[in-house]
Amino acid sequence: MSAGSIVVPVLVALGVAIELACCLGVLVMDDAFDKLHFLGPAAIVGPLLIAIAIVATESFSQSGVKALLTAALLIVASPVLTHATARALYIRRRDHIEQDPRPRP
Amino acid sequence: MNLWLIAATVLLFGLVPCAVVMLRGSIVEALVGLQMAGVLQTVVLLLLAQGFHRPPFFDLSLVLALLMLAGGLVFARMLERWV
Repeated sequence: MSAGSIVVPVLVALGVAIELACCLGVLVMDDAFDKLHFLGPAAIVGPLLIAIAIVATESFSQSGVKALLTAALLIVASPVLTHATARALYIRRRDHIEQDPRPRP
Repeated sequence: MNLWLIAATVLLFGLVPCAVVMLRGSIVEALVGLQMAGVLQTVVLLLLAQGFHRPPFFDLSLVLALLMLAGGLVFARMLERWV
């Protein structure tokens, strides 16, 4: 039994477990800001582990490089999306719920 | 069924919580659920491509990740201003 035959299932299982745990976190949390926190590990750790598992299986072939590229794209895109969503939520709440105490010019 | 296809099948169950959030939550919570579903689908496509040993299928997950970024930004901008 080689090291790869142990490492790859462990990486895939970890990646899947992290994704499912984050899905449950999105479901369980009450506030949208709290839900947003679970997008980070789901878009960064999970895909990275699975991409590493694919590279461990296929080496740096076409499949391995594309898997790494997809994981890298998710890693870059996730913070941008999270920031944009949190900004939208903040502006919506500020305009519709919270009143700005400062006088408007 | 190999390891990759089993993982993809298990991961599909994660869409259920996302669907519940999208159907029951506020509109911003629905956007969070949509983004989580997009991430999940990207990973599922990765696993399916590897499971079926079809390297061109990896392009699907790559394109989905790219479109998810663009779509999410458009939705966030729209929710910020109009809806």
